[in-house]
Amino acid sequence: MRKVTETDLPGVGIRFDLQTDAGRCVGVVAHQTGRRDLVVYDERDIDRACESVQLSEDEGHTLGELLGGSPVLEHLDDAVHRLEDLVISWVAIAAESTIAGLTLAEAALRTRTGAGVVALVSESGSIPIPAGAERLEAGNTAVVVGVPSAVKAATRLLGRPAD
Amino acid sequence: MHAGGDLLIIELGALVLALAVVARLARRIGLPALPLYLLAGLALGEGGIVELDASEDFIEVGAEIGVILMLLMLGLEFSVRELIDNVRRSTLAGVADFGLNFPPGFVAGLILGFDPVVAVLLGGVTYISSSGIVAKLVADLDRIGNHETSVILSVLVIEDLAMVLYLPIVSGVLFGGSVLSTTATVAISLAAVVGVLGIAYVLGDRLSAIALSQSSEALLLTLLGGTLLVAGLAGQLNISTAVGAFVVGVALSGDIVSHARGLLLPMRNLFAAVFFVFFGLQVDLSRMPSVAVAALAIAAVTVVTKLASGWIGAARAGIGKPGRLRAGAALIAHGEFSIVIAELGIARESDLGALAAAYVIILTLVGAVLYQFADSITLPSRRRRRVLGLGG
Repeated sequence: MRKVTETDLPGVGIRFDLQTDAGRCVGVVAHQTGRRDLVVYDERDIDRACESVQLSEDEGHTLGELLGGSPVLEHLDDAVHRLEDLVISWVAIAAESTIAGLTLAEAALRTRTGAGVVALVSESGSIPIPAGAERLEAGNTAVVVGVPSAVKAATRLLGRPAD
Repeated sequence: MHAGGDLLIIELGALVLALAVVARLARRIGLPALPLYLLAGLALGEGGIVELDASEDFIEVGAEIGVILMLLMLGLEFSVRELIDNVRRSTLAGVADFGLNFPPGFVAGLILGFDPVVAVLLGGVTYISSSGIVAKLVADLDRIGNHETSVILSVLVIEDLAMVLYLPIVSGVLFGGSVLSTTATVAISLAAVVGVLGIAYVLGDRLSAIALSQSSEALLLTLLGGTLLVAGLAGQLNISTAVGAFVVGVALSGDIVSHARGLLLPMRNLFAAVFFVFFGLQVDLSRMPSVAVAALAIAAVTVVTKLASGWIGAARAGIGKPGRLRAGAALIAHGEFSIVIAELGIARESDLGALAAAYVIILTLVGAVLYQFADSITLPSRRRRRVLGLGG
């Protein structure tokens, strides 16, 4: 998540600010009444709200969803989802991988890295919660869950060997 | 109905209708209506164009209710916790605001030969900005999202809290006798304020739940009755009715707040107008010329000191120069509290009324205009960028 600055507005609510890489600043004023203001700040005077759009609670939710507020859709492009301190990653099984072709039981990925495979995805379909007898076929995709370091280790094992 | 009663109704009708015209006018020219109600009061009062007689008693009671409703609704915006957090966060801005804006009034009072207690009152008049008028200006100009707005609101909250201590102290001093009995009165009233705030903190939720009712009629009567009772008792204890009403508002929390706001807003608007008119009515217009110079001078000084205190507070919050200017300009408007304070001293110093009325009108109009056009004021270091900005 990006760093969001939070400022109390006594008697009104809370203001959240986000600075974009391009140097713009956008904000949301969360009123105690449930009303939300979407604020765009001036490029020349970054403290001035040059545009402020009032949204009802419902409209705010809708806009949030459109902007990708729901955690499942958030980072689909890089195939990594963060849920608090858990990471889900889609890893393509490389032919060069030392564990390609092995069954899940043989690969013992969970024991070696701490990360578990929750699904195997192939062109013919996907196997959710695969049993130990399922094979890690090269070219297919393994959906790996764990803390970031564990997922990283599993990705290294499944992907091309680090050179 | 007897003839006197009819006359009262006729006068009231004409007065409220006149205020309606003022409110429409204010809206058209983009100025806050409250100082214009005060102006209307001046015109209708002693030595004014028309003198109101029959309705004056009623208006006086209405004005009292106006203060109580304004402060109740102000208190509703905050909880005790929020107030404490805010003071902790913005102590410096609050101290700078007091240090810059109390002395001008106090010193002016001494120069004008008022007695020291009245000079302290005049210091209070110049110190306190109008939460009501400023908050409305910010909302009307769509500047709630601006970064400096948090600074403006914090300073206003600290000022309102300062009033919770200031008003009991000055009323104690004004109405106390000997030094000893005055000290005792002040101590008792401060203890009462702290005690009530403590009760509000501990029992606020429960009291709010008891007061809450499905029937909006029952809720309105409960709120109004409870607040008037507490405010009246506070007045009796020299704590000031305004502080009493504010504390009731702070104590209420939860679901009741949004209901209360909706129910009280139209009443507040009516009686706040009556409050400003009444203060204008009390002022003897013939005193105006003799206080005009002093009022202008104090106003000129405090425009600068308020600009400075907003500037300092905003700079500390890391806000750029245009934002600092807006914060300063926003704080210039004075209103309800300045008048509540001035009213305390009218009996001691009759000129204080005329002086405060002129001061509030000048500052509020100047403040509203400055805040509105703060962005078109060219600041030295930004000149080039601004000029370029106009083209785009």
